[in-house]
Amino acid sequence: MKLILEKGISGRDGYSLPQDLFEEIKAEECLPEYAISKDKKKLSEVSEVDVIRHFTKLSKLNYGLDDGFYPLGSCTMKYNPKINEKLASLSNFVYAHPLAPEETVQGSLEIIYHLNQLLGEITGMDEYTMAPAAGAHGELTGVLIMRKYFVDRQEPRHKMLIPDSAHGTNPASAAMAGFQVVEVKSNERGTIDLKELAKLMDQDTVGLMLTNPNTVGLYDEGIEKIEKIIHSKGGLLYYDGANLNASLGIIRPGDAGFDIVHLNLHKTFSTPHGGGGPGAGVIGVKKGLIPYLPTPLVAWDSVKKRYYWKEVGEKSIGMVRSFWANFPVLVKTYAWILSMGPDGLYNASETSIINANYILAKLKEYYKPVYDRYCGHECTLTGKEYKKYGVKTLDIAKRLMDYGIHPPTIYFPHFEPYAEETIMIEPPESESKEVLDRFIEIMIKISEEAKTEPELLTTAPHLTPIRRVDEILAVKRAILTYDDELKLKDELKYREQDIDF
Amino acid sequence: MRYIPNTEEQKMEMLKEIGVSSFEELIKDVPANLRLKEKLNIPEAIPESELEDKIYHLAQKNSDFFLMKPLVGAGAYRHYIPEAEKFLLQREEFWTCYTPYQPELSQGTLQSIFEYQSYISRLTQMEVVIPSIYDGASATGEAALMALRLTHKNKIIVSNLLHPHYRKTLKTYVEPHNPEIIELPYRDGLVDLKKLADLLDEEVAAVIIQSPNFFGGIERVAEISEMVHTKNKDILLIQVIAESMSLGILKAPGEMKVDIVAGNTQSFGMDLNYGGPYNACLATRKQYIRQLPGRIVGETVDVEGRRVFVMTLRAREQDIRREKATSNICSNHNLNVTASNIYLSLLGTEGLYQISLINTRAAHYLEKLLLKSGKFDRVFDYPFYNEFVLNYRGDTAIISKKLLENNFIPPLKIDPFDPEKSLKNALLFAVTEVLSREEQNKVANILCE
Repeated sequence: MKLILEKGISGRDGYSLPQDLFEEIKAEECLPEYAISKDKKKLSEVSEVDVIRHFTKLSKLNYGLDDGFYPLGSCTMKYNPKINEKLASLSNFVYAHPLAPEETVQGSLEIIYHLNQLLGEITGMDEYTMAPAAGAHGELTGVLIMRKYFVDRQEPRHKMLIPDSAHGTNPASAAMAGFQVVEVKSNERGTIDLKELAKLMDQDTVGLMLTNPNTVGLYDEGIEKIEKIIHSKGGLLYYDGANLNASLGIIRPGDAGFDIVHLNLHKTFSTPHGGGGPGAGVIGVKKGLIPYLPTPLVAWDSVKKRYYWKEVGEKSIGMVRSFWANFPVLVKTYAWILSMGPDGLYNASETSIINANYILAKLKEYYKPVYDRYCGHECTLTGKEYKKYGVKTLDIAKRLMDYGIHPPTIYFPHFEPYAEETIMIEPPESESKEVLDRFIEIMIKISEEAKTEPELLTTAPHLTPIRRVDEILAVKRAILTYDDELKLKDELKYREQDIDF
Repeated sequence: MRYIPNTEEQKMEMLKEIGVSSFEELIKDVPANLRLKEKLNIPEAIPESELEDKIYHLAQKNSDFFLMKPLVGAGAYRHYIPEAEKFLLQREEFWTCYTPYQPELSQGTLQSIFEYQSYISRLTQMEVVIPSIYDGASATGEAALMALRLTHKNKIIVSNLLHPHYRKTLKTYVEPHNPEIIELPYRDGLVDLKKLADLLDEEVAAVIIQSPNFFGGIERVAEISEMVHTKNKDILLIQVIAESMSLGILKAPGEMKVDIVAGNTQSFGMDLNYGGPYNACLATRKQYIRQLPGRIVGETVDVEGRRVFVMTLRAREQDIRREKATSNICSNHNLNVTASNIYLSLLGTEGLYQISLINTRAAHYLEKLLLKSGKFDRVFDYPFYNEFVLNYRGDTAIISKKLLENNFIPPLKIDPFDPEKSLKNALLFAVTEVLSREEQNKVANILCE
């Protein structure tokens, strides 16, 4: 499709300027010569109509959650309630300046304060910071809290234990906080090898980052022993909340001994992913770690009867962002929890676990599971049976698109000897049995196609707006802007129909 | 529950198909003594109608901010956002989709990001643009980490007119790597150039300045650049921009030989939202591409030869490199990239220039008006864009209260934020195009009566 920069015509505009341009004031008198740009910076010149058509057309090349099933493992692509969007966009929230006096934003502060209490109860933690903007940002905040805790105790611990099945963000976050990452191997049941863990945990180690159920979708039955191993050596236990959707009302990370918890509000708590954010990665801690949270926190002044921002104090890790939080995400989370209530939250986890096990039961004969046991809210299958037909898991994923379904997460987790050619399927509570049955039917059909017509898969997808892309060429050419493309215009020689599809 | 379609009967049927008699069997790996015995102690579910009521009432506890024009900016600016942008952003195809890992189903998001990269590249005159880091503060932190990796040196000079939240965030980000952070003081509202010359040495990895700075002052970036690079061409000059709208009229960082730009792009089509989500770009030269954090989109072809877009240069990222990645960033603020892309498309070449120009002129109009009253004094003799510092001769608490009563969000009392603690009665004003001449006259009347 044509770029917006390739559309329009010189002199066309899509914006109505204010009537009063303050023309009597001369820019040359306000700004020094060293500061003023000689030329206007060239953007597009299009009308509002052009913009509406362009972006509507672009949107139609996307596949959203409202279009259909989105079984991405570890991503919890659940339905995003529409009322929550409306409530988050009320003008008293939207137009609130972050430095407006506290007495003018009591409603916003009350929501943050109450959400803190709700999330605390749901996860068994004592205090939350709403600052982190995303899951990985929360992880960074969490591991910096761990770091500060040990610096404060004058214990120079420098290693962080992370399971081989963890998300890439875990080791990356630990490294950003200056820790040396030590990988903990999984056992033949897909969970943490306790013997190995006991061997690795020592006085130089800050603790363990764990997802539970883990990234293969399995509850770690050794969680109590894990907790003892880490705490007995003075370490801290970090909970990656990516998979909390299997735990609501069933088990709370706080009760299991976790000291720090991060939640992805855009996963478990139903706020939309936005094509990769904005979400929020709030962090909850146990009492002893509150002094280390990023500053400030919302508190209630019982004398003045109002909410206010309270500085955390000198032990705080400081700030991790400008201002306070991704506020609309908090409103949507708050609204979702209130709509669900305790029974609704339990129902969400129960349903998502049943959904995942149903898919596992129906597909395990066709796509061998990594582990032969019940799973949490997601199941991990493999496509390795089909390698002998020249079909890779990637091909299976691409073929699913032809049937109007977004592919599951593939090649993750990836660790030898257990996990290879993985297909990780997460069917959240918002998917009905009919949707799952249709998915199962299609997956079985694809397994047949893999044997009889493998090229149908290896050349898939066929019915999507575009087809498979040359990712190697993208790296090689490194065309990262329209001006990069213009420089290579003669070499590229795109035809009109290659662009305006 | 309206968000959970399966009925109890369906669930029973599914359990039967799974081969278990109850849900309990599926979660037997959860240790029994850790299982919640009672249901969560949170309020019972309320219906949608009641929810709407409840949140509306909470919103009513805020001031009516639509009618309240801010005289404060300090890293968050109210600009007019055309309805066309807001309307388009609500399309579920943009809102409810995942990160565009599957290009065949994500060309909308991918092309939009590519277009945005193209715009920002032109606005900053930089070759490559990372479209989304969470905000200006975290982008500043990432830029500093990048500089440490690129130079293998350990000293960072930071202007103390970098936004105070950015300074704090920067410190949080780099602290584990133990760099020496040296605060560069200001003089007359701008970076003290003499001091900078004294501080520059062979150990310096980066010099971080903000322009327009926290006080609104426009730094002599080209001169600073010359000074820094003459000392040592490997020192990286990082320019932070908190008010990106200034790029419409001010010289591009690339033109002034800046090495890395960390630009808070909230002004490009993002609502104030009480502090977030905003977005930031990181722009730099192609030679530093391997050390950039975060996602970037590139152009390529599909098997049928069409021009298409895909996330690229991914070997830097956490899901591939794990602890060796350039950053841990995964989800970013991609939807806000599309917001900015739509916003900049609507503004166009002339619109962006004009808005930037009006912001400059309107701010200077208010400054003149306030100075004329005799109640305010200039603190600095410096060039500014749309924010300026004035000293008030009376009690600032009284005028703040009066402004609130008249539906204006007061300017920022600078004292708690002033790095040098010398500005007791100073206020930081911000003016954008949403403040009409009439409203400005009203403000002047309130402040000067």
